[in-house]
Parts: sequence; C-alpha cells; structure tokens
Amino acid sequence: MRDDHYPEGYVQDLLQTPFVNEQTRQLMQERLSVPEVIVPVFFEQEAFITLHAVAGRLLPQPATRRSPIDLAGAFDKKMAGNESNGWRYNDMPPDSEAFPAGLKAIDNMSNTNFGKKFHLLEPACQDRILSDIQAGQCSGEYWNAVVPKRFFEELLTALTEIYYSHPLGREEIGDVSWADVPGWPRPGLNQLEAREPLPVLKHGANE
Amino acid sequence: MSKGGSDSRDGFVQMQQFTTHETVDAVVIGTGAGGAPLLARLAAAGLRVVALDAGKSWSPAQDFVTDEPGQSKLFWNDERLSAGTNPLAFGNNNSGIGVGGSTLHFTAYTPRPQPDDFSLADEFGVGVNWPIGYGHLEPYLGELEEFLGISGPACYPWGPARKSSYPLAPLPLNGAAQLMQRGCKQLGINTSPAPNAALSAPYFQQGVGWRPACKNRGYCQAGCTTGAKSSMDVTYIPLAIHYGAEVRAESFVTSFEFNPAGRITAVIYQHDGREHRQKCHHVFLCGGAIETPRLLLINGLANSSGQVGRNFMAHTGMQVWGQFPEDIRPYKGIPGALISEDMHRPRDADFAGGYLLQSLGVMPVTYASQLARGRGLWGTSLTQTMRGYNHTAGIDILGECLPYDHNFMELSGETDARGLPKPRIHFSTGDNEQRLTAHAEKVMRAIWAEAGAEDTWSFDRNAHIIGTCRMGLDANDSVVDAEGRSFDISNLFIADNSIFPSALSVNPSLTIMALSLYIADCFLEKRHKSRQ
Repeated sequence: MRDDHYPEGYVQDLLQTPFVNEQTRQLMQERLSVPEVIVPVFFEQEAFITLHAVAGRLLPQPATRRSPIDLAGAFDKKMAGNESNGWRYNDMPPDSEAFPAGLKAIDNMSNTNFGKKFHLLEPACQDRILSDIQAGQCSGEYWNAVVPKRFFEELLTALTEIYYSHPLGREEIGDVSWADVPGWPRPGLNQLEAREPLPVLKHGANE
Repeated sequence: MSKGGSDSRDGFVQMQQFTTHETVDAVVIGTGAGGAPLLARLAAAGLRVVALDAGKSWSPAQDFVTDEPGQSKLFWNDERLSAGTNPLAFGNNNSGIGVGGSTLHFTAYTPRPQPDDFSLADEFGVGVNWPIGYGHLEPYLGELEEFLGISGPACYPWGPARKSSYPLAPLPLNGAAQLMQRGCKQLGINTSPAPNAALSAPYFQQGVGWRPACKNRGYCQAGCTTGAKSSMDVTYIPLAIHYGAEVRAESFVTSFEFNPAGRITAVIYQHDGREHRQKCHHVFLCGGAIETPRLLLINGLANSSGQVGRNFMAHTGMQVWGQFPEDIRPYKGIPGALISEDMHRPRDADFAGGYLLQSLGVMPVTYASQLARGRGLWGTSLTQTMRGYNHTAGIDILGECLPYDHNFMELSGETDARGLPKPRIHFSTGDNEQRLTAHAEKVMRAIWAEAGAEDTWSFDRNAHIIGTCRMGLDANDSVVDAEGRSFDISNLFIADNSIFPSALSVNPSLTIMALSLYIADCFLEKRHKSRQ
C-alpha cells in the first residue's frame, strides 16, 4: 500500500493566499489557534485522561509534530455543545451517558486485566484492550451501560472526523480541497494545479 | 394585497407577505425536492401560497464554507433512533434541513427512473406496483431537465427514447469517472457521462436569471457556494417567490386545526419561540420520509389504513473503494460524473429489481469517517490509508430495496429539545437486498481490479429514505391516492419520497420533483373543473 508524505507547512502558506475564501480561512485558522484544553468542560478529569490516551492510540500523530491536534479537547468541546449528528443506535444510551460510561469501562477493563489504569499501560497493552472492545470481546458488569463495539465505533468516528478536519490532519494527507476559490478546471487523472502538493520522500513517519 | 411578487428597481424580487389571518389557498410544509416545485406551480397558477420550512434560508456565497463539519448546518441533526439489524445512518447520509431541503446537500445525480421501476410486482411478484406509471411522469421529467439545466450526454444509452436531450453538455469526468470507465470497458459494461443537476455552462433560468457554470469544487454534498448546482434554493424557490409565493424559514410545523367536517383549516407552527397559525384551504405536506409520517403520527392523522410509518425503505448503496497509482485528488469534479445502468435488470440476477453504478469522488472527512466507521481502521493503519486519500476512487450502487413489514418508523418514548417524540426507525435488509448487494460487490470489485486498484474495500450501506406514506389505489392499504391526496383528509396532500410505493433503482430526487409537479397539476385541474 502507498505511504505518501506531504511537505510540512504547506497548509499555513496556502491559507494566506486568495485561493481560500475568507469564511473558510477563518474556520481553519480557528482550529489551528485553539488553545489546548487543560480542564475539560464535559468530561470528568479522570475520563478525560483516559480519553487522551485512547485518542493517542486511535490516531497516532507524527513525533515531529510540535503541537499535536488536541483531539480530546475538541471532543470535550463537542460534547459540551451537545451536538448531535442526527441519529444514534437504538441499543445505545444518549451520547452524554454513553461516552463517559465507555471510558470508565475501559479503565475498569484495564485494571482487571493489567492492574492499572489505561493511560499507564504500555501501548501494546492499550491496543489489545482497544482491539477487544472493537471486536466486542469484552464482558463484565462495567460494560452493561454501553454496547462495546458500538461505543468504539462512535468514539473512533468522532475522533477521526475531528482529526481530518484539522488543518494539520489535512496537511498530512495532502488535501487542498478547501483552497477552491478558482475552482478546479481540470479534474481528470494526473492533472494537478500548482497549489496541489506532491508527496515528498518519507520522513517523520507516524509513531 | 397585490398578486405576485413585485420587481423592485434593483432587480431583486420583493417577497409577497401574507398575514396569518387571511386564509391562503395552500400551505406547503417543507421546501425540498417535494415542496419547492409544486410551490412554484401553485403560485404560477395564481394561488396564494405560503411555504413553511423548519430550517434557515441561506446565502451560500456568504454563509457556506468549503469544510465538511462547517457545513453540518445543512443536515437534519435532530436525533433519530436507528434500530434493526442494519441500523440506518441519518443526518449527513440522507437528511437535510434548510430552505431547499435535502437538495442543499444532494450530489445532483439525476437519472430518470425507467418504466419497469413502477411495476415491480407485475415483473417479479414482490413489492408493489405504483398506481401511476412512467407515462404520467415523463412530461415532467423533461420539463425538469430543461428548467434545472441538467448536464448530460447527447444520447443517453438506457431507458425509453427521450423526447428531448439534456439541455447542457455533460460535466467533465474526474479521476474516479475515468478509472471506472477504464474498468468497465475491459469488462464490456457500457458507461456514460451521468446526468447531473449542475450547470456545465452558464444557463438562463426563468424567474432566476443567469446562473453560473460549475467550478468542479466537488463539495456538492456540503452545499454549493456558486449556485451552479440546481438545488431548490436557487431554482424553484426563487421562481415561486417571483410568482408571489411567500417562504417562511425557521418555521417548524407541530399540528393542525380542523373544521367539524374534518378538513384542515389552519397549520400551527413554531417560529421565533412562539406559536403561529396560518389559515388555509389546502395543505401540501412535503417533509420527507421521516418528518412527514412523524408529524402525522404525533397528531394521529391520516392513518385509517394504519400504513403511516410503514413500508420504510432505504436504497441499497454499497460503495467499493480502491487506491490507484494515478493522482486522483478525489475532491475535484462533480462526485458522480459517470453512470452505468447495465445492471438495471442483470441477466444473471438472483434478485428482484436492479441497480445503477456510479463513480464516486469523495470529500476528505467523509472518506476518513467511512474508513473508521465502515472499515474499522484505527491507529497507523488508518493514518497510512488516509495518506493515500489523493489516490482514492470509489464506485457505488443505487439499488432497489423492497418494502417489508419489519421495516417501519414509529414514535419513541424519548423526546427531543422541542418536546416532541424522537422517531425510531427499524431497518433490516432482506434476502433480496443481500443478493443484489452481493452481485453488485462482485461487479464493482471486478471493475476496480481491471482499472488497476490496490487495497480495495467495500462499505455496505443504505442511502436514501423512502416509503412510510404509501401512494395507492386502495384506502385500506395506502395513505394517499394516485394524485397524492390523503384518503382520510380531503384537503391534505403529500408530495415527497414518503409516498413512493417502491424504491426505484435510481436516485430519487428527479422523481420526487416530477411527482411534485404532477400532484400540483392534478390538484389545479380538479380545482379548475370544480369552479367551472
């Protein structure tokens, strides 16, 4: 499979050009400049620490990235804003109950299996727990509140959407769809505009 | 009050305003593909009409961004509960809000239905026939293509001979379309540039003026900023306003008032935190396959058949994705630039109905979200796969879905922010959907293999929502008659995807609009006769 890497910093440069409309530029700049959330609004501190650790495994960020995307902070903000995406699984409780319950269950599972909380585990153990939850191979009364694989799917999807909405996430995949003021007069195969970056030689791969 | 909107000196049409005390001829609830065309038709016939829409009226050039989460305002995000063995995604999957309805986020793919789509029961002995046929809708399909400025091929290879060709040349093929064309050619599958409701050249439109050509932004599902996509907000809504209709945005209908004879006398709605009532002679309910039956069920209306909320369908819509050596940049071009209807009735089918094939471009967050939810990728396998985004192309199908007793929409015990019960939708695919999807997956994987794909994966999903207020000939098993009129309430009409008796093996938008015009014309003809 391909393993492309795109030049660092191109998003910041392109954002300053007339290729990006003003509303879109503002939105992207906001995401770039939002301060890291230290004290969560929606989650309790304990769950927030677990959330950070889970996000770090679900979407590992390049070691070279100076200020990583604050996935846990952005998700806390989303939950505090009570944003819905229009549907939820009928066998799941409302999001406001499901996510705290699921994060608590992760810590309980971690304690039971490895004798410590999730964020203190080695990455390999963390991944084992996450794989089990995704496969629905977990039991225990602490999983009564949510369906494990549904909880995993919802959390993964929400964090993924945050990650790839962020300018740094877009930079990682070589996306310049947002720089569209002149449109794309040649949308066919291998027809690139000058503002569409080409992959560079691999460096600073994800952890 | 004067008839028709008045043209002011600066060229803007001043919108007509009615008072809630005067009894207007019709209230239209919802301004999507179901509500907008008939709103314009009724207004053009001189009727005093008011449209109520739950959502906002947008100015795309100012209000829209090229960003998926930034455009989540276009989706019906009030929570619905998804039950069954194939729980259906709503929101950005298939449900819009705002003046223009779901056309604000539709992909603009507008193939016609084929004649046999309307008689599935005759052909296969499953599902039901429509009480009307292709012939009833054909004139409207042509009219719509002309008015909306559909871009399409000079000769469309499938379906009955057309009386008129598409008014504009097809939009350019993007990478996904070129690759699908390549793969299909190897396999002997015919393809054609797809008909799309987005302008390949500037186009003059009555009541609207010149609309600009598409810039190939590829963000159609997140709203068109240029007005090149023929969503209702830039086509039938301005036409309706031109003819004197009033459109009230952010007006959420909750109930109705009746006279002793059982006719609706007023529509009750929430606006600005207050309750309003608009007196009217007729109501056209066009809220779509969930909100239309939900409003009826909440109020216990039009349901002597017990069929409101029943027969819920969602198009089979499997997608197959691959990575290619070529540079694709899947955010460019109209997403569904190519079509094949060779599988409309495949010779080797072990299922009823059929499907069409569509090439797929995709916006980045949508694709990432599907890799997570649909493929279950996470960690470095997710981030590495996403780094191949620029080399990604898709094909999907749009196929038949039969109505089943076990698929329905009901009111749940949970209430939303408005204090109204959230809808619960039960959806489980049956044998027919599974066989059709298995056939399609084989075909799509073969196309991608021929085109040179690596790392191919399939995402099984269901798309457009259909059914729930079936149209039919018999009041015992249908909610509305063959002209969209409620069997129970003589001045209530439904015109949206809820009245489809079967799903059709094409995208529904163009058919919804054709039904809307057909229902308006049936209504106007009866009204005219009763006045002679």
